[in-house]
Amino acid sequence: MKISKDEFLSLAGLQHETLDAWIEEEWLRPRGSSVEQSFSDIDIARARFIRDLQVDLGVNDEGVGVILNLVDQLYGMRKTLMELRQAIRITSEQD
Amino acid sequence: MKDPYEILGVAPTASTDDIQKAYRKLAKKLHPDLNPGNPEAEEKFKEVAGAYDLVGDAEKRGRFDSGEIDAAGSERPRQNYYRDYATSEQDHPYTDDSGFADFMDSEDAFAELLRRSAQAQANRRGHDLEFRLPIEFIESIAGASRRLTLPDGSTLDVIIPPGIIGGQVLRLRGKGAPGSGKGGAGDVLVELEIKPDRFFTREGDDIYLELPVTLTEAVLGARIKVLTPTGAVTMTVPKGSNTGTTLRLRGKGAPKHAGGYGDQFVKLKVILPKDPNPELEAFVSAWEGGKTYNPREEVAP
Repeated sequence: MKISKDEFLSLAGLQHETLDAWIEEEWLRPRGSSVEQSFSDIDIARARFIRDLQVDLGVNDEGVGVILNLVDQLYGMRKTLMELRQAIRITSEQD
Repeated sequence: MKDPYEILGVAPTASTDDIQKAYRKLAKKLHPDLNPGNPEAEEKFKEVAGAYDLVGDAEKRGRFDSGEIDAAGSERPRQNYYRDYATSEQDHPYTDDSGFADFMDSEDAFAELLRRSAQAQANRRGHDLEFRLPIEFIESIAGASRRLTLPDGSTLDVIIPPGIIGGQVLRLRGKGAPGSGKGGAGDVLVELEIKPDRFFTREGDDIYLELPVTLTEAVLGARIKVLTPTGAVTMTVPKGSNTGTTLRLRGKGAPKHAGGYGDQFVKLKVILPKDPNPELEAFVSAWEGGKTYNPREEVAP
């Protein structure tokens, strides 16, 4: 689902400046041009996660960047692991 | 729900600061997005977050301590976490495969496995499409052809061979969903369902028909037309036939597996005229033989 910037701000409960700062830090990576940015459900969930890190877990801005970097690698690996599981299933079906 | 202080592992007298510290310590361990493979963490996190919602801020905590609100229903409702999206199928801008790039060079076993699977998927056979097709009894014996409309709107002519049995499945090779690459299309599977017939029944390769005849035809014999699955034929009813007399029409049954055909058996049923007939009554009352013959001799005293 495509979400416009204004919708995103209200759905994620963010201020304009906060969002711009997060995008500047590359914590959020909207699609589209810088003039017409578009967001989706995963961005809302990610914004909520960042909020949790800052408010609930007390992580400072430096920490948020480090965590997001590691989390992205973790999910990238999980995704590849799932692909491998699928690959094993398909190739063993063939044999 | 358990006592929120107990969940957070603090004394009921703990300061707001201590409560926040205890919560943060647990949340760092349990936050679902930091534990993508651990469903237990999510359950515990919900509990911990619910407890913190209750006693984490001074005002709410006061109301809880004074018994104004209790712990029931304070669990945080399920939300969609980041982890629910991050590993879903579609590509998203946060995918980062640098964590295992070293495993993926072309000599590696993982890379080889992924390549083989991509190839296998590229040459996958299409799905089979399954249908149920009700047909008439006559069609099951004599054969028929039907036109099916497939889900994509195209049509398919199905030849139903003679002698089908209910539940039999016809396989039309390569008429199913298209495959990818060299995979080839799937098949169309048509399960035939034979509708019950008002007149005919089938046993093995033979078929049975109950045929009404008049008193005259039964007593004097006659040549009458009989329906068979392959059309009407003329049959001789012998003189002196009776209800239950069974005549055989050779080769008019279902086709046999080994070649040839079963038979059609015609069971006669003598039917008197519907309306009372004075002539018939006069004849029967004058007919001595009708009074002395006892068909129930063996059944009743």
